[in-house]
Amino acid sequence: MSPLIRLLAKRLGTSVIVLIGVSLLIFAIARVIPGDPARIALGPNATTEAVAALRGKLHLDAPFLTQYGYFIADLFRGDLGLSLYTNRPVMADIAQFLPATLELVIVSGIMMVAIGLPLGILSARRRGSWVDHTVRLVTLLGVSAPAFVWAVVLMLCFSYFIKIFPIAGRISDTFSIPSVTGFLLVDTLLAGDIKAFGNAVWHVILPAFALALSGIGQAARLVRSNMVETYDKPYIEMAEAYGFPEKRIARRYALRPSLIPSLTIIGLDFAAMLGSAFLVEAVYAWPGLSRYGVAVILRKDLNAIVGTVLVISAVFLIVNLIVDLLVSILNPRIRLSQRAS
Amino acid sequence: MTAPTLKIENLKLGFKNWAGVSNVLHGISLHIKKGERVALVGESGSGKSVTARIVLGMLQQLKTARISGSVEFEGINLETLKPASRHALRGTRMSMIFQDPTSSLNPVYTIFALFKEVLARAEPGITSERARQRAIEALADVAINEPERVLDSYSFQLSGGMNQRVMIAMALANNPALLLADEPGTALDVTVQAQTLKLMSELVEKHQTSVLFISHNLGVVREFADRVYVIYKGNIVEQGATAELFANPQHPYTRALLSAVPRITGGGIPDLDDDPGQFLAPLVAHPSYSEKERLA
Ligand SMILES: Nc1ncnc2c1ncn2[C@@H]1O[C@H](COP(=O)(O)OP(=O)(O)O)[C@@H](O)[C@H]1O
Ligand SMILES: [Mg+2]
Repeated sequence: MSPLIRLLAKRLGTSVIVLIGVSLLIFAIARVIPGDPARIALGPNATTEAVAALRGKLHLDAPFLTQYGYFIADLFRGDLGLSLYTNRPVMADIAQFLPATLELVIVSGIMMVAIGLPLGILSARRRGSWVDHTVRLVTLLGVSAPAFVWAVVLMLCFSYFIKIFPIAGRISDTFSIPSVTGFLLVDTLLAGDIKAFGNAVWHVILPAFALALSGIGQAARLVRSNMVETYDKPYIEMAEAYGFPEKRIARRYALRPSLIPSLTIIGLDFAAMLGSAFLVEAVYAWPGLSRYGVAVILRKDLNAIVGTVLVISAVFLIVNLIVDLLVSILNPRIRLSQRAS
Repeated sequence: MTAPTLKIENLKLGFKNWAGVSNVLHGISLHIKKGERVALVGESGSGKSVTARIVLGMLQQLKTARISGSVEFEGINLETLKPASRHALRGTRMSMIFQDPTSSLNPVYTIFALFKEVLARAEPGITSERARQRAIEALADVAINEPERVLDSYSFQLSGGMNQRVMIAMALANNPALLLADEPGTALDVTVQAQTLKLMSELVEKHQTSVLFISHNLGVVREFADRVYVIYKGNIVEQGATAELFANPQHPYTRALLSAVPRITGGGIPDLDDDPGQFLAPLVAHPSYSEKERLA
């Protein structure tokens, strides 16, 4: 078995255990938030009998572990139960809202890597020069404010005073795109509608950039500091003494060892965007899962809370898994120790 | 008479800092003839490594470095070369071996990947097959009998001694005219260091490679070098043929050094009580050496 597959299997195993733990925890927490979900769902005017009937239907009077058992049994059938808030299966709600959030976060993640990494590399290669100082100052600005502040600032600057980006939403109302994947950037292309695609890109740029800014800054600063540290290593002196070209030393000999510690943190930052995404979604009226999540928590919509948290945890774990894989591809030490164990 | 491989004259180096310029080399001169093994001995911080770095042209790009004097390589003043031509000498006509072989080999690439990069310095666009074949030959020269396994390994999978052999093989793979060995293998244990030095010594003899052997181990210097320069705080204080210098040290610093070293074990540079008044006395050049010089 290839070492990478072995690593993947191992991490998948631990991910499942983590998910079970998370589900138990959130299952319990959702049930100790004060308030009767059935009463909240039916409203103050509902009869006591109606409330009791709904409680029975939701197994709310059964012991905790029995309730959890029902939940797991349903989960294996791909059923997260009904949302009392939307009156639809939680699965359907998540399928509708998750892609919007993922789309936003993935575009932000791409920006973080595509802008942050080159900035960090440039800064490290020109360490001590004015280029380096400028990059460090600008990236410090990026990390110095949270995403929702950037969301408001960017919206004011580029949607309100200078009207080059839209104020809100994922796409203009004039387009109607059949939903296949739920990712508008993909669906518009599947529909072969380039104008709609451009429109969706135009909508996602500002919120994604606001969400990405601190990540860009963090990635750039991290890569710079790791790379500057690597530049002091004897193997870089060796590469210079043997006259390897400067560009090649930067890209191959200094960057790759520096990426190994950087990637783990960049992965965490990326996952943390899922959290920051909520406020950005609120600012840009972005119809994503974060807004849904808060709405269902306020209404104590048990199934929806548990479902949302589980899905977000799963996304977290997947991101971590990908990062672990990338790190072990980059780091032969880990790859080889996998073989030995 | 062919030009010496390396001829350094009145080399001065200072580093600019907030307080002004701190001088590190105060006008040193040395030369190495073809096939000659010359040691540069001195305590830590005396300016040995910077000398090697200047020869390779690696300090010149540092904005804070102030360098004057001349460095001639095979009769060519390196200052007169274009930066690209000067850079082209690195890893081809000049190469270097370091203190700690294991940390000098990049841990995320296999020995083969690094070897290929070194070979590509002299033969750009070398194919993997050819690089592999040449690397195997080079590893055979340093008595590595499982070259395939070593080439597919990472430095952290090999012993320090094995990495040192790899480093020696890489350094000599392009058949350089000058090998700069900066305290080679000091990080290794003493027997391994001795073995690898012996290997290196045989190889440079075979290829007639000139060597600048930087060391603070007098015992090793005595065994390895044809001639010795003693450096103290950026000044060459004594120079001469090895046997002569060891038998009859003239300069107060050299004397203090030699008398402090246990004769039999011949370890590293001892901790001397600093005595700049005496130790900065003028250069002593041994007469036999000067005569040779005049003949040259
Ligand atoms: N890049 C640099 N900037 C400032 N000072 C330096 C630099 N490189 C070396 N030096 C100084 O030059 C002196 C000689 O260093 P070096 O040649 O490394 O000594 P050694 O003889 O131990 O090899 C030391 O005092 C060191 O601090
Ligand atoms: Mg040194």
